[in-house]
Amino acid sequence: SNVLSTTKDESTTSTDSTTKVASKEGIAETPKQKLLKIIGDMKVEVTTKRKFQELKEQEIKKQATNEQEGLDSESSTFQNTAEDVQRSKPLNPELVQAASAVASSFPRSKEQAESELLAQLRRHEETTDKQRRGGTINIRNVISEMAVKRQSPAQRGVRISNRISLEMDEDGQRIKPGRSSSRSFDSGRYFCSVTFYLSEEELSSPTIWDLEFAKEIAAVTEQPPRNGFEEMIQWTKEGILWEFPIDNEAGMDDGAEFHEHIFLEKHLKDFPKQGPIRHFMELVICGLSKNPYLSVKQKIEHIEWFRNYFEEKKEFLQEI
Amino acid sequence: MAASALCWALRAARQVLPSQTRGYYVDWRMLRDVKRRKLAYEYADERLRINAIRKNTILPKELQEVADKEIAALPRDSCPVRIHNRCVLTSRPRGVKRRWRLSRIVFRHFADHAQMSGIQRAMW
Repeated sequence: SNVLSTTKDESTTSTDSTTKVASKEGIAETPKQKLLKIIGDMKVEVTTKRKFQELKEQEIKKQATNEQEGLDSESSTFQNTAEDVQRSKPLNPELVQAASAVASSFPRSKEQAESELLAQLRRHEETTDKQRRGGTINIRNVISEMAVKRQSPAQRGVRISNRISLEMDEDGQRIKPGRSSSRSFDSGRYFCSVTFYLSEEELSSPTIWDLEFAKEIAAVTEQPPRNGFEEMIQWTKEGILWEFPIDNEAGMDDGAEFHEHIFLEKHLKDFPKQGPIRHFMELVICGLSKNPYLSVKQKIEHIEWFRNYFEEKKEFLQEI
Repeated sequence: MAASALCWALRAARQVLPSQTRGYYVDWRMLRDVKRRKLAYEYADERLRINAIRKNTILPKELQEVADKEIAALPRDSCPVRIHNRCVLTSRPRGVKRRWRLSRIVFRHFADHAQMSGIQRAMW
């Protein structure tokens, strides 16, 4: 319901931007039907702004995700079986309705727009279904999508946006790919962020190939530094240049408190409590506690080495 | 000696595959010094601990004798005493200034060509 209210606010702001809007809000209608009516009534004109189209795309996707969330939240068995049945079908009838409403608001090529919107929704559903079933990790797809959009002016995104493109210029000329690149990038980024949210659980075990792929992309997309500042930034990231103001404990601080460095008696539990060995180990611990150059792990390893050494020599020591 | 050095070079080459890079040390003595430094780094902790047992008045003498034998059994090149600071560029064993790791001749060459930062001919 929160999502719906925000979409309604967005739709109201978009209605403010357009001139021809007849907002008929029936009291007895459900909020979904209200939204569909508003979308259907909104006529797209020649002078529409980019933001409006972005909002619409967001609305479509939010509606799609809302449908999914609505289906998930309703825990009744009937809904679950209906959901299972709908999974086998390509699309939700409500989504189809929403798509048809949006398509009807386009100035021309309504059927084409509708078919393309439905195709997009279908693709979206496929990916979310795959992720819900715990399918293959989509990192590679997502990264390749993101990479493609960064490198060339959004090949895939441009195609999608060109298909649903509205006429921006008043002369009636088609949008050039350059102009729509930013839009497609935004929608692509939104799409990518959605898939990331859904596939969080599967990101825990990326394979070596995915890591190599990510490294490849990073190596290809990096630009040489434009000035001295960027060069220094790069060096700092690599570790060649220190960070200023100089931190004396850079690279050394393992997050251990002072008491872990000084009070090392608890590691002496396995040693005999009397005798020269104990005396010797207490001296060792005294020396370690005064040592600022070793980490806590190294100190514990030191003590463990001695423990192992004396364990091996136990029979020899008993003879003495 | 040649075989072991070849093995050493081969090991280095194997690690660098697939992009094979070859480095040449100035001479074999420099290579041997490099090996000694690497081994000394590897065995530094063990040597420290065994020596702590040896140089002790508290532990029994028999234990110290056993520790003596153990440290003698470690590879000979692992003791830091065998490292000799040679010149980095010419591998000259004598006349090496520690701060620059260069022999006196190389140092003078670079200083005269103004390639040593902050070095000036002394005059007073």
